[in-house]
Amino acid sequence: MALSLRRLVRKKLAMVFLGIIVLMYGAGILASLVTPYDYNAQDLSKAKQSPSWAHPFGTDRLGRDQMTRVIYGLRTTVIITITSLIGGSLVMGVVLGLVSGYMGKLADGIIMRTGEVTSAFPEIFLLLILLATVRPRVVGWVQDFEDATGIDWIIRLGFVDFALVSFALSIFSWFGMARLVRGQVLQVRENQYSEAARAVGASTSRILRVHVFPNIISPVIVSVSAGLAGFAGAELFLSFIGVGIQPPTPSLGRMIYENSSISVLRAEPHLLLFPVITVSVLLFSFNLLGDAVNDAFNPRTR
Amino acid sequence: MGIYIGRRLLWTPFLLFMVSFITFALGQFGPGDPVQLLLGQHRDPEVVERIRQQRGLDDPVMVQYVRYISNAVRGDFGESYKYRGRTVAELLWKKIPVSLQLNVAALIISLGLGIPIGLFSALKQGTPWDTSAVAMTLLAQSLPVFLTAPVLLIVFALWLDILPTHGWGGFFDTRIIMPAMVLGIPGVAIVTRLTRASTLDVVHQDYVRTARAKGLSEFVVRTRHVLRNALIPVVTTLGFSLAGLASGSFIVEIFFGIPGVGLLAIESLFARDYPVIMAVVLIGTTLFVLANLIVDLIYPVLDPRIRLGGGYVAG
Amino acid sequence: MNWKPIIATLCGVLLLVGLVACGGAAEPEEETAAEGQPAANDSTQEDMAAVDGRQGGKLVRLFADPPTLDPHLTTDNISGILVNEIFGGLVSLSLDLEVVPDLAESIDTSADGLTYTFNLRRNAKFHDGSPVTAQDVKWSLERAAAPETQSPVAETYLSDIVGVKDKLDGNATEISGVRVVDDYTVEITIDAPKAYFLAKLTYPTAFILDQDNVGDGGSEWLRNPNGTGPFKLAQYEVGELMRFVRNDNYHREPAYLDEIEFILSGGSSMLMYENDEIHLTGVSLADLDRVLDPNDPLNAELHNIPGGFSVSYLGMNVAEPPFDDPKVRLALNLAIDRESIATNVLENAGTPARGIIPPGFPSYNKNLKTYDFDPERARQLVAESKYGDDLENLPRITLNITGSFGADVPPTIEAITKSWEDELGIQVDILQTEWATFLDDLHDKRFQMFSIGWGADYPDPENFLDILFHSKSDNNQTNYSNPEVDRLLEEARVERDRQKRFETYNRIEQMILDDAPWILLWNSGENYALIKPSVKDYHLTQMTIPKYRYIYFEN
Repeated sequence: MALSLRRLVRKKLAMVFLGIIVLMYGAGILASLVTPYDYNAQDLSKAKQSPSWAHPFGTDRLGRDQMTRVIYGLRTTVIITITSLIGGSLVMGVVLGLVSGYMGKLADGIIMRTGEVTSAFPEIFLLLILLATVRPRVVGWVQDFEDATGIDWIIRLGFVDFALVSFALSIFSWFGMARLVRGQVLQVRENQYSEAARAVGASTSRILRVHVFPNIISPVIVSVSAGLAGFAGAELFLSFIGVGIQPPTPSLGRMIYENSSISVLRAEPHLLLFPVITVSVLLFSFNLLGDAVNDAFNPRTR
Repeated sequence: MGIYIGRRLLWTPFLLFMVSFITFALGQFGPGDPVQLLLGQHRDPEVVERIRQQRGLDDPVMVQYVRYISNAVRGDFGESYKYRGRTVAELLWKKIPVSLQLNVAALIISLGLGIPIGLFSALKQGTPWDTSAVAMTLLAQSLPVFLTAPVLLIVFALWLDILPTHGWGGFFDTRIIMPAMVLGIPGVAIVTRLTRASTLDVVHQDYVRTARAKGLSEFVVRTRHVLRNALIPVVTTLGFSLAGLASGSFIVEIFFGIPGVGLLAIESLFARDYPVIMAVVLIGTTLFVLANLIVDLIYPVLDPRIRLGGGYVAG
Repeated sequence: MNWKPIIATLCGVLLLVGLVACGGAAEPEEETAAEGQPAANDSTQEDMAAVDGRQGGKLVRLFADPPTLDPHLTTDNISGILVNEIFGGLVSLSLDLEVVPDLAESIDTSADGLTYTFNLRRNAKFHDGSPVTAQDVKWSLERAAAPETQSPVAETYLSDIVGVKDKLDGNATEISGVRVVDDYTVEITIDAPKAYFLAKLTYPTAFILDQDNVGDGGSEWLRNPNGTGPFKLAQYEVGELMRFVRNDNYHREPAYLDEIEFILSGGSSMLMYENDEIHLTGVSLADLDRVLDPNDPLNAELHNIPGGFSVSYLGMNVAEPPFDDPKVRLALNLAIDRESIATNVLENAGTPARGIIPPGFPSYNKNLKTYDFDPERARQLVAESKYGDDLENLPRITLNITGSFGADVPPTIEAITKSWEDELGIQVDILQTEWATFLDDLHDKRFQMFSIGWGADYPDPENFLDILFHSKSDNNQTNYSNPEVDRLLEEARVERDRQKRFETYNRIEQMILDDAPWILLWNSGENYALIKPSVKDYHLTQMTIPKYRYIYFEN
């Protein structure tokens, strides 16, 4: 483990891209501090301006500063990737995988079969159905909640959409992780050291902690870093088909959707290029990091 | 082994049942009504009710489902709600091969570029060549379709004027080139990674060392021993990714005007065209399950270290 | 039947790649008619065409798969455009949107306005050469109204005819109000003298089909439809292409074109046009600047599309706070600078709507007192409303938007909500809903505020004012109810003097505007289309009408 980490750190390129990811996530998290404008400050007289000193990424159709919106779009991506990852892959996947692998028999059967059903689904379909059908109702409930409590920022800041998109993504992403963890648990379980541990009367949680966990950490890290890019891409896709984040909350997916046409690319390329380049750099960094992590942690490809 | 296969085969219809039933039920309980959609903004409860009754949409969900499935098993997927007077089979049977061909073409591009790059990368392991080759493929993987499709169109159709902008002429037509590239290039990275990994794996195997020790030329060693063995996992892993691709290619289909199944599938979802949705889900799931089954069965043959029914992890 | 939203779905898809310029009414169907209308002369036209060398040629355009080609089931614009070329009815719309006889040669109306006598043309034939008779008319109308046909729109378009309701409910085998007098004469009786009856008959639901062709059910016949229109369906590959060829036996002046090819597989319209793969295309906003430049070679091929007969608006549920106070509704209307948004954001692809009835539509009134930008007065109105000065007391407002496909929150909506925030301090939440769900909620009046549009089905003000604002109308989604408006609407339905009738509608429109149940937005304004210079007389009309027969190629 420590060795693998050191191997990773030694990969300079990977570290550079890790830096980029940290920078972009940092900018996203601190969006309100690092942006020069209000993300929804419109000035119709300045619509669709090309990049300038005042507006390095130009302005959009409503004269809003594109750079500000791209950075806020990153905030959306940050929230989506982190919540989906924690909600889906990590918590659901690891826990269910552990349960499945450790308990075996009935629990194993149910979890694995359920997982197979969810992963056999054409996921785009189910995602769409869920978001199209469930979302308006959930927003209604949250509105009632807001009215009752006097809180007024849950919907406005897009938390409902974040939560729903994350939830929908989680439903499809947990199984890969669960299967991976389960496999590791099964291997560990049959290894002599855990049998020995059981023989001397160690508790289940201790076996998990001491024997199983260290062994699954590497594949988990590998799969997480590979998965991050997937989540960032999925948010893009959801916004693209119109069930993602609601305006005026900026989202890179929506910015790309609105401007993804040959005509825009020819007439006002900055409208498409800045969001696309931002997304591409982020995805590229994730992919490269994932690859490096894979190299460092996976003994077979070293 | 025999028992394992038996269990898998028994489980498959159940899985199909679950998936189709969930889809069906979601459609029924979710908001949106196919008949009202035909009427659009015009509201006429009487008309909606009359047509719903005539189509049997007012029967209990279970009754409808059983009726649907018993027809589907006999190959009758019913009539589209949106495209009135067209059977689902008729809508799909020409489109599915189109999407499949497009995806095969994309896969060929992924493999055709990915395998050589992966091999090259593995043989130059650790050098800047290795790093930059891998980085290139990862960069290609990171560019969204929303950028690559319009850029390719502008360059090849408008500026160079050497490829047509749209349409479909089958597998051996120039019109397949651009969409297949857009669809296939992101996959190059995966193929490269797999090839590179399995090549490195093979290179360190004893028989390769033996071959070298025997004094065989480097070329013979690389082609006969390394390449052949390295490709087995690559090909099997990718074989089944094909099944999942068909529904994901719809954006490419829209951009390049390809009459594939992707656009139809999305459209039918928004039109609540249940017969089409169900058929697409059923066919897609069946392909997925079958491909998975085949891969699972082939794997142990290729790699005797894997035993079925145990703790084997796919992927 | 309003088909705009159905088109919106397609537009979403097509807009993805800048396929078509989706204005208010999607299909760039519309244009300044004028130039060189062929004279309406039945017999000699074919020879004339041969003489002036207009006959021949093949027009290629991008299109979309029609949901159906069965006229009686047609509810949408895409199907409507195609069906209008293959089939025909007793009457149709001319280029200037007047109701003109089609299969009928002349129409006599009884003194009480209840009975219409249609004298059929002796030369009217189906594509296979068999004559169109009174029996065919009767059979077709009865098929359209038969419960088995499952026409979603028969009730809307035909139920003025005596006996159609009974037929639709399955209580009658025939329509009692349709009587065959002789082979070439049909008499239709309606339930009240309605000025818009003939206009309704121009819709495909009332088109005439051939009984032998249709057979006894199924849809097999649609592969080879035997219509009466100027074109015959020669080939149809779903999702690929559709081909029409000229019907040389057409009873009015036949088409010039030999063939029309509709490409159905999608693609990038503008690019295809520039690559000379198609003859016409809409122009998307992003391309507009380029083609408007007089130095651009495409500029010469640019045509102006007059706005379609549609209006987009934000409906407010007047039963729900804060919209139960008309002052709030009015204030929101006054706090938007429509001119500025239209110029800067819409780039004049839409024009600010001044009233409910779109410009150019029968009974359009340009003297309406409408909502001008007046933030001062708007703020004052909010303060005077029962919610008072303190915005804390104002209930939350959620604006529901439908995307149908894709992230379809138009920038205009973002500009509008922003201007409410800036001018009035009122924050409005936007909520996107997919079309099918939206429709459900709309009809259940579950929305507080919603964004939608309405396009004309037939050229009569009743189609806007009565259908959308009568308190008993199923399509009144704002819960708007004004007894005086109801009374006047009912009066106008049966008023037979056109002038007086339109005056009544003008009064009604002003009353509704004063009550402000809508935030008026746009009439689909100027759109642009590119048409290859060799294509002549492609009429961009404001409604779907048969029009491909006018097109010819200049050699």
